[in-house]
Amino acid sequence: MKIISGSSSSSIIQTQGLTKVYGANGAAVHALRGIDLTVEKGEFVALIGPSGSGKSTLMAILGCLDLPTEGTYTLDGRQVQGLTGGELARIRNEKVGFVFQSYNLLPKASIVRNVELPMLYAGVGRRERRERALALLEKVGIADKADKLPATLSGGQKQRVAVARALANEPALLLADEPTGALDSRTGAEVLDLFRELHQQGHTLLLVTHDPSIAALAERRVEIRDGLIAMIEGVA
Amino acid sequence: MTGSGAFRERLLGAWVELRENLGRSVLQAVGVLLGVASVLGGFSISDSMRRQSDKMFVKMGGLDKLNIQPRAAIREGQPTALQQANLGLRDADAIGGEALKSDAIQGVSRQKGARARVVSAYADQDRSVSGIGGDYIPANGYGIAQGRSFSNSEMETGAPVVVLGTEAANTFFPKGDALGQSLKIGNLPVTVIGTFEERVFRFQEGQGNQFWWRNRIIAVPANLVQRRMNGDTYRRVDRVTFRIPDLSVMSGFAQQLKNLVTANHRLQDDFRLDDVTARVRRRQSQGSVYDLIFMLSGVLALVGGGIVNVNIQMASLKERVREVGVKMAIGASGREIFKGFMTEALLLTALGGFAGLILGIGFSWIITSSIGIPLFMTPASFLWAYGLAAAFGFCFALYPAWKASRLSPMEALRYE
Repeated sequence: MKIISGSSSSSIIQTQGLTKVYGANGAAVHALRGIDLTVEKGEFVALIGPSGSGKSTLMAILGCLDLPTEGTYTLDGRQVQGLTGGELARIRNEKVGFVFQSYNLLPKASIVRNVELPMLYAGVGRRERRERALALLEKVGIADKADKLPATLSGGQKQRVAVARALANEPALLLADEPTGALDSRTGAEVLDLFRELHQQGHTLLLVTHDPSIAALAERRVEIRDGLIAMIEGVA
Repeated sequence: MTGSGAFRERLLGAWVELRENLGRSVLQAVGVLLGVASVLGGFSISDSMRRQSDKMFVKMGGLDKLNIQPRAAIREGQPTALQQANLGLRDADAIGGEALKSDAIQGVSRQKGARARVVSAYADQDRSVSGIGGDYIPANGYGIAQGRSFSNSEMETGAPVVVLGTEAANTFFPKGDALGQSLKIGNLPVTVIGTFEERVFRFQEGQGNQFWWRNRIIAVPANLVQRRMNGDTYRRVDRVTFRIPDLSVMSGFAQQLKNLVTANHRLQDDFRLDDVTARVRRRQSQGSVYDLIFMLSGVLALVGGGIVNVNIQMASLKERVREVGVKMAIGASGREIFKGFMTEALLLTALGGFAGLILGIGFSWIITSSIGIPLFMTPASFLWAYGLAAAFGFCFALYPAWKASRLSPMEALRYE
């Protein structure tokens, strides 16, 4: 698989000259200064860089939470720049699965309902929703907690729920933002094992981290510094 | 949408949200509740009052009566020849009037009163004697309790017969055996042929009988008064009453009658006709002022509650920014977020409104029973109360819901 550019039909992420500017004129902050990045289907890529490097901004744009100021971004064959808020929501729903450092489960909904929610937004019927959610919980190993509230789970278990929820609509891209940042090293390792497993099953993973030892698990490491790609190492 | 049960899910989510923040939800619902209770209570109390006064109106003979009475033509000084020659209100006016609209008029009654010394074996009093003619008895809501009413020929010939109200019967025949006995009115002996049913009406329970004076009636044929007591050759009467159930005909008829009587009376303005239009207007506007006041106070309560709710919603939105961010990240569109917030607000309004209806019923029941009138509620009051609450609830929910739907997903996710 190629590293930079080249428009292969199997690319999940393809960006060209991606820039992001916050604020205007005098007070403008250039968070991204021209990112060209391609991630192929089935790749496991780690996005590393110090805080303030622009990696969070890049992750937000890649996850369709935000739009770039300039440049083009194609996610699984869909042009993202220029879309409306509603269209972006739809793409997030169908093509992106998020796993956050702080889990971000909805505290008032049961585990299974948390996993069902993306499918609800996608218009999946009630029965199918429930079946798929239970299957996903089975897959991440916490099917027995389906009717519990998130607050009753340990950090590692919550993160497993988050992974199950991220997989709900069979997304093209799984985006994990410091997924082990809030976990102790043992449970962190278990969650990373889960990610590795998902990778082996063919999922495309983009993992944002500042921990070199976690980044080492990925096939490829992309380092962001001052809004630019500073270094890419490793090949699949 | 129904296929995936999205509405059901939203409703369930809204319910969970309301229940999780019980204190806040109750506070918000109270605003709606008071508004609904105040509109419903106000309308119901006003409806009950109106119904009660309607009842009184009907019992008194109702709106459908048009009276014509004589009036002094000469205010001061000497009467003119024309005035002197005037014949006054008389039978001819009644007959002519009826002919004007014989199909719409359901009854004409004449009255000719006299004041006389009335003497029986038990009492000797100075009393009013009502000479009645035409349909006076049914038109004025009297009914016969004992004996019989006047026959046509007794009316026609002015026979010396009398029908007594309960008070009069008790006064002149305390033993209750009035029927068949005789009574002297002035110098004229008359025979009691019947007694009227007692007339009772109280506006509020515990109040005095507003119809007590109707029980004092001493009724004889009008022709008897005219011929044997204080009559005259022109057969003048004290009052003519036309009964017209169709109110829309009434105004036109009043004008025609006025023209007719003016002509009959040689253009002398010596009679007085009920002011029908004023009466109808007053009747229609009766209570509507109260309705307006109650509606206004209810609306003010709803607006006040609505503003408080917007405040609470905006404050609670701050706590929920992250939740909105998460929902957006996993694919909820701004519209979906908007619908979620609206569902919560409308569910709250629905529940608060329902409680308000119950409170409103209790509230109106307490007020009406404390002033002693029966409670009367119409479906319209319920619809108004609930509809207003729903409309205001909807309007005031729009802003916070819109605000939430406009959050940027990335900023919402980072919000601490």
